Amino acid sequence: MQEGSAVKDPRKEGGSASGVRALVLTGFGLNCDHETAHALRLAGASAERVHINALIDGSVSLERFQLLVFIGGFSWADDHGAGVIQAVRMKTRIGGELLDFIRSGNLVLGICNGFQTLVNIGLLPGFDGDYTSRRVALMANDCGNFRDQWVNLLVQGDSRCVFTSGMDRLELPIRHGEGKFTCEPGVLEKLSRNGQVVLRYERPDGEPAGGAFPFNPNGSLQDIAGICDATGRVFGLMPHPEAYLHWTNHPDWARWKSRLRRSGRTFPSEPTPGVRIFQNAVAYLSGEAGGSGSTAASAVGGD
Amino acid sequence: MPHRLEISLKNELPDPLGQGVARKALDYFGIAIDTVRAVDILTIDADLSARQLESVRDDIFTNPVTQVSSYRPLSIPFDWLIWVGYRPGVRDNAGATAVEAIEDYLQIRFTEEQAVYTSRRFCLRAPDLSRDQADRIAGELLANDIIQQWQVFHRMDWNPEEGIGIRLPKVLLDHRPTVTPVAIDSDDRLRQISDERNLALNPQDIPTIRAYFLEPSVRKERRDVNLGDPTDVELEYLSQARSDHCNHNTFRGRFHYTDEETGLSETVDNLFRSFIEVPTLALQKQKPWVVSVLWDNAGVGRFDADTLYTITGETHNSPSNMEAYGGALTGIVGIYRDPMGTGKGSRLIMGSYGFCVGPRDYSGELKPRLHPRRLLDGVIEGVRDGGNKSGIPTVAGQTLFHPGYMGKCLVFVTAVGLMPALIKGKPADQKEIVPGDHVVMCGGRVGKDGIHGVTAASESFDEHTPAGHVQIGDPYTQKKMHDFLLEARDEGLVRFITDNGGGGLSSSVGESARFSNGVLVELDRVPLKYAGLDQWEIWVSESQERMTVAVAPEHIDRFLELSRKHAVESTVIGRYTDTGKLHILYEGETCAYVDLKLLTAGFPQWEFEARWLSPEHRGLCEPAMRPPVDHTRLLLDMLERPNICSKEWITRQYDHEVQGTSVVKPLLGPMRDVPGDAAVLRPRLDSRKGLAFAQALLPQYSAIDAYHMTACTMDEAVRRLIAVGADPAHMGGVDNFCWPDIQAHPETNPDGAFKAAQLVRSCRALKAICLSYGIPLLSGKDSMYVDGYLAGRYGEFHKVSALETLQFSAVSVVEDIEDCVTPDPKSPGDLLYVLGVTRNELGGSEYYERFGYIGKNVPQVRPESFLPLYRSLHHAMGRGLVESAHGVYRGGLAVHLAMVAMAGGLGLHADLTAVTVEGSPSEEQILYSESAGRFIVTIAPENRDAFEAAMAGHPVACVGRITEDDGFILRGVDETERVSTTVAELREVWKRPFGDLI
Repeated sequence: MQEGSAVKDPRKEGGSASGVRALVLTGFGLNCDHETAHALRLAGASAERVHINALIDGSVSLERFQLLVFIGGFSWADDHGAGVIQAVRMKTRIGGELLDFIRSGNLVLGICNGFQTLVNIGLLPGFDGDYTSRRVALMANDCGNFRDQWVNLLVQGDSRCVFTSGMDRLELPIRHGEGKFTCEPGVLEKLSRNGQVVLRYERPDGEPAGGAFPFNPNGSLQDIAGICDATGRVFGLMPHPEAYLHWTNHPDWARWKSRLRRSGRTFPSEPTPGVRIFQNAVAYLSGEAGGSGSTAASAVGGD
Repeated sequence: MPHRLEISLKNELPDPLGQGVARKALDYFGIAIDTVRAVDILTIDADLSARQLESVRDDIFTNPVTQVSSYRPLSIPFDWLIWVGYRPGVRDNAGATAVEAIEDYLQIRFTEEQAVYTSRRFCLRAPDLSRDQADRIAGELLANDIIQQWQVFHRMDWNPEEGIGIRLPKVLLDHRPTVTPVAIDSDDRLRQISDERNLALNPQDIPTIRAYFLEPSVRKERRDVNLGDPTDVELEYLSQARSDHCNHNTFRGRFHYTDEETGLSETVDNLFRSFIEVPTLALQKQKPWVVSVLWDNAGVGRFDADTLYTITGETHNSPSNMEAYGGALTGIVGIYRDPMGTGKGSRLIMGSYGFCVGPRDYSGELKPRLHPRRLLDGVIEGVRDGGNKSGIPTVAGQTLFHPGYMGKCLVFVTAVGLMPALIKGKPADQKEIVPGDHVVMCGGRVGKDGIHGVTAASESFDEHTPAGHVQIGDPYTQKKMHDFLLEARDEGLVRFITDNGGGGLSSSVGESARFSNGVLVELDRVPLKYAGLDQWEIWVSESQERMTVAVAPEHIDRFLELSRKHAVESTVIGRYTDTGKLHILYEGETCAYVDLKLLTAGFPQWEFEARWLSPEHRGLCEPAMRPPVDHTRLLLDMLERPNICSKEWITRQYDHEVQGTSVVKPLLGPMRDVPGDAAVLRPRLDSRKGLAFAQALLPQYSAIDAYHMTACTMDEAVRRLIAVGADPAHMGGVDNFCWPDIQAHPETNPDGAFKAAQLVRSCRALKAICLSYGIPLLSGKDSMYVDGYLAGRYGEFHKVSALETLQFSAVSVVEDIEDCVTPDPKSPGDLLYVLGVTRNELGGSEYYERFGYIGKNVPQVRPESFLPLYRSLHHAMGRGLVESAHGVYRGGLAVHLAMVAMAGGLGLHADLTAVTVEGSPSEEQILYSESAGRFIVTIAPENRDAFEAAMAGHPVACVGRITEDDGFILRGVDETERVSTTVAELREVWKRPFGDLI
């Protein structure tokens, strides 16, 4: 039961407009479950928060779902590397089911700790259908500390990722201590060549971050903030789309609102770029085309 | 046989942890180190086969992309090597998760004796480093001897085959648990035993305790359960329950207050009842949103028709002063258990912090246990890990430097939770216990850690303070428990819940037993970290991350099943009864048998002498100064002062956006670097209603009068809420008092009676402002011994006492988050207003502090004129007439006009002569007076008439405008430019002091 659950939300009752069912993993120190489920519901999916143990003991089956979300948090406190123990547990206990899930054409999203988990399982980068090798890592930020900050992101034009379809630029918050994307040069080259680089940090003026702090907040190689597998159906990113659920989540919303009001316009009601990432997933799974080209952010304009 | 696994980053990768150590060595001590590389060490004390060892190394503990590892010492060049590990019995969180991972991966179970211990070695390249310097880096930067051990190796001493050796900080207690009866033949004898055992029994309580145990009827009942003299378990229980920390004896004390000037005396009986309970209950009758106050772990307010919020705050000063990281971590994780244990339990939605420490660059003669710089770094990191790893946004905080906090630092932590109004159709804020209900302990296990924490918090800090009460919090275990307990709550399985904080089971079980009027505890069922604890230790241990829950017999199976699903340990340790007795068994033998009503009757009230000397009487006066000429330089220097300048480096380490609820963030403006006035959250993602939270600290005013300190602190918290658009009709408060010792003593506390008078005055102000502003006190705590003895240069010790400090937190609601207002001006051409009256009130100001003065004219709060202005401003905001709003706080108008300009990233031109004043204050008084009740707002030109009409009858002055250029111009009489600079320069100096810190 959630606070205020006396108000019935039909979307929580199992059904959803799209029929898409999403599973949000919880437990063992994960912590973005409520807002991730909310984002999925805003995007038209039904979302269930499922404890990792319920998936492992079989009381909940992956087969009922089309979208699996590894969420943010500190799984097993991240004591031995972010996402490491979660990855070991998932891989050893339900690794086969995960591979079946992906091969059946479903979608997997990993956000922050979820991204770290995906790369440690090997679901990313998933070169040549190999979903078990660790080829990339998210290591401690160059700045040496946990950091909460909004970043500017450029969606790579050649990306195959279904989650960012039709999007070009967006802003999202990052909140992590281990987000520096690292790999061997050959892996980096292959990611680029395959269209598997999805998001790069950039400067507010649209120039590449070029590794410069704080635009690239963690020292990631080639400013990489998110990658997908070769099919575009498995996507991991360090920034938090589920923290941009509503325009008032953005640090500049009050200035936007003032300017809109003074030019006779009203505050936007369309979905935020954060929610659009989830909408793209729902659209893909329900057989619709991707979203429109312009994000609502360009409608209100930055500073 | 134990195995030592070493893990490090690959050579070619930079090591941010090592770089941080090198940076701090330079920053703290001026010691230059070429490079530092860290090696993580896992000492696995379990019988694993070679194959098992290799597979856990490869599959769990080594990242093939970034790390190398070996069961032999890794070869990493160094000049000096510092190994740091925990002392036996200190919570090793990473060791525990390593066990969990190995068990899960290999599908084995570690025995009670098997474990994994983590430690680290740092390889320093610094050929010129001396052993003394290496020792200093070890002892003053990398390790704290209270919780850690270390060893320094020179490269010549290093055996590359043996490495650091095998080190197992295992607790081995070759001890049979024993209950000891205590002789009570005389008061003196019991007092002596209290001292020997560190019971901290108050001497006044001793006759009452003896009288009870000597009572013939009591003796007869006790004989029936094979008890005679009181046992150590019983005396420890009484000591905990009667401690100032748990029982608030100071606040419930009797104060004989004399005004030395008038000679008038009065007796103030029970500060808590007179100044907190009375106004709060009166306000609860007027305000239907006040749901539950004054009895539970946190106060409860109504958020909306079907949601309640819970709020409380406390301090963790003594432990943080000893071990900054562990103390602060335990503090924030501990406060999160209070909302979890309020009503039937709430989900945590935010936290905040307040740090009061000595000057970061202190270089004087006194030797605090931890240098303020190191202490601050530690408490910042403790709250960071506690908040971030709990998945709870840390949305607000404040840091204050003052030499008075060198004796003992202050670490305030505040928490807010949310719960549905009804659980299974019953009010969630209410709870009960039915005789026969199970007593269930959930969460962590019990060890020797945290014994006598509450009694230590009830004493001044000195060299004999036992270190055993310092702990390392474990947010991971607690987060699992939090998720579990909410699920259990929603299934209706929780009848009653409370947390194990100060006093451990003794407090949680002892206090909850009053709800059924009795309890029977089987102490041998309590899961322990290691064997060998005495019964009294199990009973009072403050081992963290535990809750006590009453579960009805018909629900216990389901409760324990859910607990297993969430990987949380829960144990039935007894049952509630209606016998009127606290009855404790250990392996079937009674070791405590005490009437619960003993604690509610008969103990003498504490007595305090309080003598007030007015500021005039103490010789305080305004300084004799001629006015400054270079006002631009002055303002720039003010912005650089530690209590004014940017502390973005702290804020950014805290996740303030998890849960997706952030509306008004802690850092705002186009550069996202200027603090907001208050935090606003949208706790229910399906609603547009917001929750606003603000806090304030102004202890500097206590140097003049703690009455006005209190009133101004509360007014600041209120204005912070008003500034973001919160509803003045719904404001709840949390008072956190931190006071130096007020029990007068001719040698050790010669001014104790004055400090006691300050406390009485502070409480009077608290009540006055609560009633006039309509603020019920939803929660509050007091910490009464903020003093320490610091060694000086010649072996002498100095008592250092904190300023009388109140942190006031305030909470409110916002009907529609889209109506929130932020401090940043939105457009060039907007009109700049100052609301409120500026007076000759520089007493205790940042401006006077700049010159080493205190002054006398402390700012005063005038609710009769302030509150109507706040209401009108709120109304104008609701109509969309206000573009930006910011309160005028510490540093006065000049500093806060600069904040507004920086927040907007736009220029600002203002005419100081237009500011509404009382009398004829000088320009520096207009610029730096900290008069309460004021705001700086900006208004779109087209709304000028509507805004002024809305504010009719209030002191409202249009003083200038926002400009496109970057100029920051303040004009005085005859249009002369008193301050002339650019916003870029303001920002540069304001960010300079701590700008390099990350």
